[in-house]
Amino acid sequence: MIKVENISKYYGTLQALNNISFTINEGTCFGLVGPNGAGKSTLMKILSGILLNFDGDIHVRDWKVSKDRLKIKQQIGYIPQEICLEDTLTARDNLILFGNLYGLKGKELQRRMDEVLDQIGLSERVKDKVVTFSGGMKRRLNIGCALLHKPGIVIMDEPTVGIDPQSRNSIFSIIHQLKAEGSTIIYSSHYMEEVEQLCDSIGLIDKGQLMEFGRMEELLEKYAKPSLFIAGESIELGMLQTFGEAEAKGNGYLLNSDEPLLTLEKLVAHCRENSLEPRRLELYHPRLEDIFFNLTGTQLRDA
Amino acid sequence: MWAIARTELKKTVQDKGLWFWTFVLPIVFIVAFVAIFSGDESTSYKEVVTQIIPGYTIMFAFFIMISMVIVFVKDRERGMVARIASTPLSIHQYFFGKWLPFMIIVLVQITVLFGFGVVVYDLPLGDPFALILLSLALAFIVTGWGMAMAVIVRTENMGIAMTQILALGGALLGGLWMPVEFMPDVVQNISKALPQYWALQGYKEIILSGGGVADIWLHLLILIIAGVAGGVLALVSYPRFLRQSRS
Ligand SMILES: Nc1ncnc2c1ncn2[C@@H]1O[C@H](COP(=O)(O)OP(=O)(O)OP(=O)(O)O)[C@@H](O)[C@H]1O
Ligand SMILES: [Mg+2]
Repeated sequence: MIKVENISKYYGTLQALNNISFTINEGTCFGLVGPNGAGKSTLMKILSGILLNFDGDIHVRDWKVSKDRLKIKQQIGYIPQEICLEDTLTARDNLILFGNLYGLKGKELQRRMDEVLDQIGLSERVKDKVVTFSGGMKRRLNIGCALLHKPGIVIMDEPTVGIDPQSRNSIFSIIHQLKAEGSTIIYSSHYMEEVEQLCDSIGLIDKGQLMEFGRMEELLEKYAKPSLFIAGESIELGMLQTFGEAEAKGNGYLLNSDEPLLTLEKLVAHCRENSLEPRRLELYHPRLEDIFFNLTGTQLRDA
Repeated sequence: MWAIARTELKKTVQDKGLWFWTFVLPIVFIVAFVAIFSGDESTSYKEVVTQIIPGYTIMFAFFIMISMVIVFVKDRERGMVARIASTPLSIHQYFFGKWLPFMIIVLVQITVLFGFGVVVYDLPLGDPFALILLSLALAFIVTGWGMAMAVIVRTENMGIAMTQILALGGALLGGLWMPVEFMPDVVQNISKALPQYWALQGYKEIILSGGGVADIWLHLLILIIAGVAGGVLALVSYPRFLRQSRS
């Protein structure tokens, strides 16, 4: 179990994290979601023992970050947001370096390198220098370097930023494989759909505050009540407001209702009577993205 | 620590720029200046080569500081220091792992340049034990200062500029280009505050006067103290460097 207790972090006078607490069960995948500057990387660096000055504490199994940092580090594979590789050296040299840093040597290291290379799909490029790699390949090697010592907890800070869909899929399959092996995964992203797809529980973070935390299904159930989406030239906000709470969304309007089906019926009848012809009229299921917006008033991604 | 040192050494060996600065350029300088000054009849050939070869070796040894600055600033900026901090390696092992390869490179550099002097110019060597000790002290001070500079400077350019001031200014005032005896008294006094001066005087003592360890103990001591001072300064500034690197 990983228990984060009242973590706060200041950079000078800027508060990057404000009293964050949550618990992650081992063997599950936890997604940390928030916009740029929310504090995701800061939290991940604290979890991996990189940042030392912060308030609060983190318990990993029977250890505390404040006391047993070394033991915890051996259990963690940290994959930074930036690619951290020696790019004038080969993939092999990089793997050896990180293997050595975790105490792997000789046959054991060779065996793990072969396994990891297979996992990240770079066996054929192992003798090539990292400078010759594509962005996606570097990302995968960046991940591989953190997996050699078979960490029980894998911390991934936005591993899919700026890569092609193919590399992204291959990173997802690495994650699925890690989940199948029983690893605990802590994954940050500002792509909601990734998190919806991969994670068992999520935390929504904004401006250093944990806005919401819970199991994925719970959150969807709590917030994702369907509403109606209507668009069309003759449709006006004033008319919709007679049916309930309405707001503009995209090129149409969103009409909230406790009984969306009933409202849909009434709306259809109204349109027919007044010869209004909506271009679209449908049930709308909010995505995590909308939940986030409702909670924080902030868009996850820059528009 | 060895993993870091090995990786660093591998990187530097592949770096063509470093080869140029460390070996090619000094040899070009040595060849050129020996050619220019060996025609001078007032000084003996032995004095000329003993001025020029150790002189330029010392000067170019200081340029290792540039490579050290570049390596540290890069590691800080691309998050490598933070990445390493997430592994069980202690921060001091990282520090020494980074330092060691540069110490080795400077020792190889001194060996190569002196070797070149012996083969091409019949440079006499004097007491080998004293020579080795002095060379170790030289490598120690340049890398010690290099570590200090590398963790203190904010940018690569600042490090390069400061190294150039130290290396070229020190070469001029420390008597690497022209024996200090030819300089005004004021300058001669400044010279005595520079490691370059003590290193060169040490080599001259060994080579020209046949001195042994007993004759250069003061030179050794000064270089080692200056090197230790650099190392201490580096260690003291290291936490700040780490703080900057970790986020
Ligand atoms: N070294 C630092 N010094 C000062 N402020 C910092 C430092 N690192 C981060 N911050 C600030 O702390 C806040 C949180 O940053 P953090 O990198 O954790 O965000 P993030 O959620 O990872 O964002 P992104 O999605 O852009 O990676 C931001 O306001 C950022 O400007
Ligand atoms: Mg980040």
